[in-house]
Amino acid sequence: MIYNPFPMRVVSKREEAPGVRTLKIEFINQEDHEFFKANYRTGMFGLYGIYGEGESTFCVASPETRTDYIECTFRQSGRVTTTLANVDAGDIVTFRGPYGNRFPIEEFEGRNLLFIAGGIALPPTRSVIWSCLDRRDRYRDVTIVYGARTVADLVYKHELEEWKQRDDVNLVLTVDPGGETPDWQDHVGFVPSVLEKVAPSPDNTIAVLCGPPIMIKFTLAALEKLGFSADNVYTTLENRMKCGVGKCGRCNVGSTYICKEGPVFTATEVQAMPQHDL
Amino acid sequence: MTRILLNSRLDDCLGAWRSAGFTVLAPVKRSDLTRFDEVQGASEMSLDIVMPERTIKEHFFLQTEPLIRYEIKKQQIETEEMVPPERKRIFFGVRPCDAAGLDIDDPLFGWDYKDDYWFRRREKSVIVTIACTSADDFCMCTSVGLAPDSPKGSDVMLHPLLDGRGWLVVPHTDRGKALLEPVSSILLEEAAEPAPVPAVPVKFDVNNVMAWLAEPANFESQLWKEVSQRCIGCGSCTYLCPTCHCFDIQDEGDTYSGIRRKNWDSCSFAMFTMHTSGHNPRNTQSTRWRQRIMHKFNYYRGKFGVNSCSGCGRCTRQCPVDMGITETLHEISNLPR
Repeated sequence: MIYNPFPMRVVSKREEAPGVRTLKIEFINQEDHEFFKANYRTGMFGLYGIYGEGESTFCVASPETRTDYIECTFRQSGRVTTTLANVDAGDIVTFRGPYGNRFPIEEFEGRNLLFIAGGIALPPTRSVIWSCLDRRDRYRDVTIVYGARTVADLVYKHELEEWKQRDDVNLVLTVDPGGETPDWQDHVGFVPSVLEKVAPSPDNTIAVLCGPPIMIKFTLAALEKLGFSADNVYTTLENRMKCGVGKCGRCNVGSTYICKEGPVFTATEVQAMPQHDL
Repeated sequence: MTRILLNSRLDDCLGAWRSAGFTVLAPVKRSDLTRFDEVQGASEMSLDIVMPERTIKEHFFLQTEPLIRYEIKKQQIETEEMVPPERKRIFFGVRPCDAAGLDIDDPLFGWDYKDDYWFRRREKSVIVTIACTSADDFCMCTSVGLAPDSPKGSDVMLHPLLDGRGWLVVPHTDRGKALLEPVSSILLEEAAEPAPVPAVPVKFDVNNVMAWLAEPANFESQLWKEVSQRCIGCGSCTYLCPTCHCFDIQDEGDTYSGIRRKNWDSCSFAMFTMHTSGHNPRNTQSTRWRQRIMHKFNYYRGKFGVNSCSGCGRCTRQCPVDMGITETLHEISNLPR
């Protein structure tokens, strides 16, 4: 029934940053896997759990082009995430989903893509990035602007290296002032101000933005200044959730249920929400 | 000709229903608290009260609902879904406001993903309402478009007779009609006059309230801070509400065995919307109170076409700091326009 999750087996675990881990998990039952493959699209989320501790909501960090497994990336913080952080390959965890709406990446075809992410918000962005890079010929220029507080806090370091090597991706990395190491070669500064220096022209460009509420606020202002139409800026909102299916009553911003009508919204839609409920 | 159930035949009626396989639940008073519980006979019932302290909601949306039993052995896991038993139940002596509450919550539990924990209980239950003959200062059904004898959510409605001999029996649904079949020989067919329903004064103009809430600028109104100052965030109003449906999902047990449960939660609690990062979208009692009012009289209507309030007044009647929705809505309703 509705709250019964899929059992999943842990394939591997990767340390991304202090306290941040990625789990790669696979379906144990064939029919559950088929359901996921048929329904998952980039931008959707799920509830990841472990019996005895509970469930937590994260995005599906793996792209819709790679559905043999699910990856999720999370910061170790509470009871569930601490236990999930300490699982080993072979252990059983659970997944409930995929829930919510998606990034309409078909509509992005033929356009330039600008991805902007802050800190631990790279995982949802990364799902869209790979969904597009795996079909690279459908999109034009790809720019990724990613910032974190410190060099250590950058996640997916191996993939950042891979994107850096590619000549069909323009990767811009930045860390907050004071977060750089002596050998840091990239930008130092907050994402919105770095973005203003490196952003591509808004002409025929879609921006996908994920980050903490404060970063979203200032980056939306920067994008507006750069001439981006709010209809061409997409973001994903994450709120505390328990059910994921529009019943438990807590994830709404104003009348909008993030779990059902989101988590993906255009900046136009976000700006229409009551800002003090975000 | 109308059908009558005499007080003196109530036990026969209950007996016939129990023989037909029904469990009968009715308001029962135990240590100062009246709530719906299983009864064997009429003498156990407390029907001469305005309403029970607890709503029938707790028999459909359990305060703590077992979802999944789990057992973990090495890297194997055994789980069992704890499906609610399909029991034929009669809720006897429900107040119209509580019956309406079930009706109001149906679309929430049914939209898109169907919550079987609610519907398996709903589908086998018959609601026998008794129209009110008394009301207190907190009753406000007439303010939300209902009445002391409104049939919303009732399968059968009993109207107390003026002469006190029993009730006029009026079925409102097919399920209600079917319920009367096994007791047809117990009911009398004769003309009778029902007792008048009590006057419940309208306490606020719900249309004024809805219009004010729908105005985006009022989301930031100072009023929210003023009307919520007494709130201590205890959550009583949400637990006692016939329509409040917010819940949490928690595991009870250890890493080896236990039960995953769905528990009542409350928008009044500070932790309700707290993010892992520490960011909390509704970080003060006034923003949480605003959420409660907006949810009931704006958001819910936008989604499901009804307000999420049936006017029972428990939120105000049992508030430990003497606050409640009525006062806030009265204030909003009377704002200069």
